[in-house]
Amino acid sequence: MDILESIANAVSKNLIAGNAWIVVLGGLKVTLLISVAGLFFGTITGVIFCAMRLSKSAILRFFSKTLIAILRGSPVLLLLMILYYVVFANSRVNAVYIAIIAFALNSGAHIAEIMRSALLAVDKKQLEAARMLGFTPFKAFMSITLPQSWRVAKPVYQNAIINLIQWTSVVGYVTITDLTRTVNNIGARTGDPFFALFFGVLIYLAISYLVYILFSLKTEKKGAL
Amino acid sequence: MIKAENLTKKFGNLTVFEDVNLHVHKGECIAVIGPSGTGKSVLFRSLALLERPNAGHVYINGTNITQKGININKVREKLGMVYQGFHLFSHLNVLDNITLAPVKVRGDSKAKAIKSAEELLAMVGLADKAFSYPHQLSGGQQQRVAIARSLAMEPDIILFDEPTSALDPSMTGEVLAIIRNLARSGLTMMITTHEMGFAQDVANRVFYMDEKGIYEEGTADEIFLSPKREKTRLFIRRLKVFNYSVTSKGFDMVAMNVKIELFCQKYNIEHKKINYIQLVLEELMLEVFNGCYKYLQPDIEYTVEYSEERDEIQITFIYRGEEYNPFLTIEGSDQLGMVLISGISKSYTHNYENSCNTIILNI
Repeated sequence: MDILESIANAVSKNLIAGNAWIVVLGGLKVTLLISVAGLFFGTITGVIFCAMRLSKSAILRFFSKTLIAILRGSPVLLLLMILYYVVFANSRVNAVYIAIIAFALNSGAHIAEIMRSALLAVDKKQLEAARMLGFTPFKAFMSITLPQSWRVAKPVYQNAIINLIQWTSVVGYVTITDLTRTVNNIGARTGDPFFALFFGVLIYLAISYLVYILFSLKTEKKGAL
Repeated sequence: MIKAENLTKKFGNLTVFEDVNLHVHKGECIAVIGPSGTGKSVLFRSLALLERPNAGHVYINGTNITQKGININKVREKLGMVYQGFHLFSHLNVLDNITLAPVKVRGDSKAKAIKSAEELLAMVGLADKAFSYPHQLSGGQQQRVAIARSLAMEPDIILFDEPTSALDPSMTGEVLAIIRNLARSGLTMMITTHEMGFAQDVANRVFYMDEKGIYEEGTADEIFLSPKREKTRLFIRRLKVFNYSVTSKGFDMVAMNVKIELFCQKYNIEHKKINYIQLVLEELMLEVFNGCYKYLQPDIEYTVEYSEERDEIQITFIYRGEEYNPFLTIEGSDQLGMVLISGISKSYTHNYENSCNTIILNI
């Protein structure tokens, strides 16, 4: 009984008192906004990077290769701080938008590499077989390359999304009140950081599971690559 | 149907073939045979413009497809290709593999495409596999699906590029049976194959490729029964040849025997026969040294030909000089060597012409 009682106490002290749950909800909203927008623009960035990386122009290839290497090789927090304290230091751009740009760039670099390896994994001979049946290059890409590379990319893409969501927890460094920051604040205020932080972990876990469920909604077909 | 004029394909400095001219008529089945690496596949790929030829023209149904501005996709709709490695679309089941092109390329309705796909599947004997995925099928089944996929576009011509080379022997039969039926039904086709029996049986004409082009061309009987040119003959009979010449009585017989043994082992000739070959050659050599070159240095050349097809060995032994037939001395003589030779050989002949003695022996 003691345990249940102490949990109930902790819940009321941390979440109910002073409508703290509304604050948590607000933080969750910011985290989700940065994640979803970051993923959306990150995927677009990824497509662009990937197209450059596979293009015929040596300059574009070199440029994108370097950019991807830098973005993947440096912590997203540093990128975020550079954008916030240096690039946009004198502008009045909302910190959330800056965070979205940072995460779009960082995840874009990762996604570009995921796409590239998935595209290269497709059997060129099947593509040729399609061409021999009269497919135009574009139709063959849409009917053969895209569905097949999606199967390769899917699990890695899912990982990239979960990574992105978890890394958004650093946005507190640039004054954004996201989920991590709100639970931290609550823990500091109540003097019981264990419960508040553990509660934060549970929410992140729930989001990750949600992503996992979304990805397994469409049942796997039996075909293999 | 297919015509190629002065077709040339090079990869960098390597010329695969040069100035190839060919003409395939409607309803013909052409077998393209030849050793590996003589450009059979590249020829097919060039005819389909999957490889751009360096020179020459290709005409499909009278259209020059090597000229600029040709819609190659339209041409390929009527030009099928079946590969050694099947290359089915791995993310689609059998039915979708077959219906994909008719629906997406030709714009058939799904229902119509499915109906004709089912007919094709019944024809290749795989009606119950419509919803299987390629990796669930055996190689032979995959190849039959690939043939059905190609037929779904109702091509005028199909190029079969070694359709059975990737299959184990138990499965080649099922695929060859289908191709045979297609040939009988009058579909124009070209096929590269190592199945000589099949090629002889099905093909109207045979192209033998070697020496950077079509080396010999003729009806199946001409090529298989009486090939005119040397390399064709070697290939058809599956002859393996060993040459050696002796110009000194003090030649290194041990080294020669080692070379013969290596040659024979390479082609799995049984040990007993290797001994026979070595014995026969040694005895012949000694016999000729004594009979023909008593006071001269020898001038001997011989060839050992091994026919894999018939598992037969033929030795052609040529020595220049006076006429001398060692076989004449066998009767009642004590020449053990010649008795041995005549015992081992199935047949032997001696012939003298232009101061050249020629002995042909079969073992």
